[in-house]
Amino acid sequence: MSSSIRMCFLFLPFIIFFFSGCATTPYNYTAFEQSKPRSIVVIPPNNNSIEVNAPYIYLSTLTRPLAEKGYYVFPVSVIDHFLKENGLPTPAEMNGIPLDKIGEHIGADAVLYISIEDWGQKFQVIQSVAKVHATLRLVDVKTGELLWESTAIAQESSGGGGGLIGALVSTVVTQVVASTIADPTPNLARRANNLAINNQVRGMLDGPYKQSTEKK
Amino acid sequence: MNMNKWYMLPLLSIFLVSGCAINEEIYYWGEYEQLIHDAYINPGSADPATQIEKLNADIQKTEAMGKRVAPGIYAHLGFLYAIEGKDSQSKSAFKQEQALYPESTAFIEGMLNRAMQHKENQL
Repeated sequence: MSSSIRMCFLFLPFIIFFFSGCATTPYNYTAFEQSKPRSIVVIPPNNNSIEVNAPYIYLSTLTRPLAEKGYYVFPVSVIDHFLKENGLPTPAEMNGIPLDKIGEHIGADAVLYISIEDWGQKFQVIQSVAKVHATLRLVDVKTGELLWESTAIAQESSGGGGGLIGALVSTVVTQVVASTIADPTPNLARRANNLAINNQVRGMLDGPYKQSTEKK
Repeated sequence: MNMNKWYMLPLLSIFLVSGCAINEEIYYWGEYEQLIHDAYINPGSADPATQIEKLNADIQKTEAMGKRVAPGIYAHLGFLYAIEGKDSQSKSAFKQEQALYPESTAFIEGMLNRAMQHKENQL
């Protein structure tokens, strides 16, 4: 093999890495910078997927990345129970609460609205694909202005490859694994959240608790 | 087979470079998110008493690390104590959340006031 082809292989990952970073346009943070929210309430997600458990699986993965970004994140499960007890039994209804009520009873600076577009594991003939796809919208409670929006998306396939025999075997293996070992969606969701929230080009801005620890 | 080695070098260097960018987390998270997940998806494995025990263990670990208890953990604990009917422990956990994170004041005081009114109505 010639050395120039070797060099191509050597730099291919770098080239992909480089272009993936450049592909997105800079994000307009004007509203976000003016609002400077300190606290975020996560409203249980709206579900457009066919997986009924998706909203609460996803809700359980959001506190950590948002708090690590420096925000006070209201206790997601307590908020959910609070909303249920106040006549909003489902995420669909919770997503319709007027912002002034959120300001009055919860006192949050910003609300994170989520819509789950696709969720779960699909078994195809020779492989299985797990996918998590949600849109995130951060809105200022006082002004109703959109501060930030992004898409959290991650996908993972297992099985496939290894020719026909490999394919036959791997299909069986994946299905056995899927029925006995943990659901892959929580970790996929964590990966998707990290990509969306901590994105260098269009991620969320740092909140107050992040800055204060850096100064120490 | 020589090809495999050539692939490894750039992958390794990306790994090293990206490794440098990872910051240490502000908080210790322990079981909090897993407990929220389990309480919704598999409730039998995370009843309030189990959750209380695990969260208290996490709080001790956090303090041993010299870190601040993460947002929401004391409030979640206060809510669990309330379900168990342990009113004074519930109130003190809610107060801890408020002391650590003043952003929670309106929500926590609202809950504590409603709990007090509920008690008065029962008398």
